[in-house]
Amino acid sequence: MASPKAGNPVIFIVLREMRTPIIVLICVYAIAILGMALIPGRDGEPMSIFHAFYFVMYTATTTGFGEIPQEFNDAQRIWAIFCLFATVIAWFYSIGAIIRLIQNRFFQLARAEWYFIRAVQRIGKPYYILCGFGDTGSLLARGLSDAGIPAAILDKNEHRIRALDLRDYTVPMPGLCCDASDPKFLVDAGVRSSLCLGVIALTHDEEANLKIAAVSRLLNPDLKIIAMSASAFHEETLATLGSETYFVDPFKVFAKGLGAAIYNPSLYILNEWLSHAKGVSLHTHITLPPPGRWIICGYGRMGRELYKVLSGFGIETAVIDPAPSDHDIDIYIRGRATSKTLKAAGVHKAVGVVAANDDDGLNLSILIHARGIHPDIFMIVRQNRHQNEIAFNAANADIIMQPSLVTARKMLFMLIAPLLKSFFSFLVDKHLYDKGFMNHLLQRLKSKLGDASPQLLTLLMTPQRATALYRAWQQGAAVLLGDILRDPRMREDELAIVPFVLKSKDGTIKFLPDSQVILQPEDELLLCGTESALRLLDSTLNNEYLLYYVVTGRNMPRGYFMRWLRGKLEGDEAVRWPRHQAVT
Amino acid sequence: MNLEKVIFGFFIVMALTLNFGFFLGEMENPKYHNVYELFVLVVVNLIATGLKLGDRTQIGAILLSTSLVADLQLIAAAVYWTIVVHVTKTGLTPDVTASIVSLSGGALVANIVSVVMVVAETLMLRR
Repeated sequence: MASPKAGNPVIFIVLREMRTPIIVLICVYAIAILGMALIPGRDGEPMSIFHAFYFVMYTATTTGFGEIPQEFNDAQRIWAIFCLFATVIAWFYSIGAIIRLIQNRFFQLARAEWYFIRAVQRIGKPYYILCGFGDTGSLLARGLSDAGIPAAILDKNEHRIRALDLRDYTVPMPGLCCDASDPKFLVDAGVRSSLCLGVIALTHDEEANLKIAAVSRLLNPDLKIIAMSASAFHEETLATLGSETYFVDPFKVFAKGLGAAIYNPSLYILNEWLSHAKGVSLHTHITLPPPGRWIICGYGRMGRELYKVLSGFGIETAVIDPAPSDHDIDIYIRGRATSKTLKAAGVHKAVGVVAANDDDGLNLSILIHARGIHPDIFMIVRQNRHQNEIAFNAANADIIMQPSLVTARKMLFMLIAPLLKSFFSFLVDKHLYDKGFMNHLLQRLKSKLGDASPQLLTLLMTPQRATALYRAWQQGAAVLLGDILRDPRMREDELAIVPFVLKSKDGTIKFLPDSQVILQPEDELLLCGTESALRLLDSTLNNEYLLYYVVTGRNMPRGYFMRWLRGKLEGDEAVRWPRHQAVT
Repeated sequence: MNLEKVIFGFFIVMALTLNFGFFLGEMENPKYHNVYELFVLVVVNLIATGLKLGDRTQIGAILLSTSLVADLQLIAAAVYWTIVVHVTKTGLTPDVTASIVSLSGGALVANIVSVVMVVAETLMLRR
């Protein structure tokens, strides 16, 4: 838990700042009331203290009910004038003090921090801490919201936190404008809380990401930590922080993905489809260029990774970059990528161009130049800013790579579907030996899910997630994977779900498990299916009668009386879970 | 066909139809409201409640609670009837009859909720 603070610091600050104004108000009122209670009136007697109090109360607020209880004499009127001015000035002073306090920057920060701490404590279910709410952060927050996982968000930029307030997330996403690498704010975000699942460091500053990771590890040794990183030095440092620390380098991820796409387009399509990329369905077909020369414009972080991958595949690669070459590259043209340098790099005979600069304008102009010279060339372009999306979509590139999007997707998969990584490794390995395998898998997904958008679900068989299944296990039932994937409304139909990975408690992993596998407690399943199918699966796993129906094909009588009657009529076996029914 | 569904559906719908029959007619006039019909109605409702015992689903719990509401209201109506006829001997005056019929009207709503839920649950299945 975050360190419990003594009371609300905001109320404390307000009270402390209001000390003087309140004393001034009390004194002015006291003097005014006392004067009124001492000055003799028309009948020679002064007002009672109660009447004086009443008069000053409505005069001070400029309500002005008149001369009550009886008409004043001139001495009283002179004092009334004094009362009016003195009390109104005292009020102005007090209200001014409050406004000054509210406008005080540090008071606002204290208030925001207090509200943030309370909002985090009220989340009430497992959540992540997201440090950095830029393009990547907001994409990731959207993904987490879709998966129903809340997050506490820290960002240095006030405008980003303001923007966060206007988003329509389905789960609480409290945000605070602060320097996330300051340990105090990580504690505010609940880094020590038992509900905190992990910390994700996405700031633009590599050093800050490293510090966030290190501080979080020190404050909570059990956390999962994911940091965005793009240099080998930082990755080495991160790797010393323990087993639950991961780093994501957007350029490496993309270069790997591209390498897989060149050798196996189906894998690339599967990945894009699972991440709900716009305009990608299982029917999408990417026609890759024939083998030939590729030109990489810009030899920065992305350019280097791509060069490594492409030359690793033995593809002839030319590089255009203004900086002098420090590597042994065969065709290295120095200069900015213009028509001239593109021609020098041999764009006429090249099959593909990669515009990999960190400047969107430059990348778009490369795209236009290259298309002008060679209209059929395969174009991969790097899009740095999310806001330039419209321009890039209009530019009609073959593959648009957004580092922020790639990072966000990769991290989202790490969070909601950790088994997916091993599944993809399996597919890459498998593909080397079995060329038809990927097509077969895509066919299977197509026939099961149709055009519906896919959802990934990691299902850990715990007593909370699968109450009915646990009860069945307690009664000695053996349940097959194929059984729970039947439609609980009609068991002859199968749900639109394809199981990707089954990881059992002892760590053995089955990829694309078949329907005859017997489920065991604490099995972890990675499923891909439509949203409605996954919801039906959830109802099967938590409703004994539905589970009994999908497993046996018979209906379990629901009430005590009916169960007794069925037992009498058809024998005890008819109301029990079948034992040893499964084929092993 | 499923024997449980037949029995269960029979009692639940029977409770509704009997209640409707009892409720129908001028509210204050005891001629329209038969005492034997009320008796059978209470019995059928109690049996329907008994059949719902032991269901571990959420919908089963709601069905049981609506059934208990109907029981409560009908038993209150029956007890009231007995008291005015045999204890206070005031007989079925118009305002007493109106009270009894309005209690059965409340139970009627609970019965309707039960039937709607059973039908909805069955419609969700495609078998």
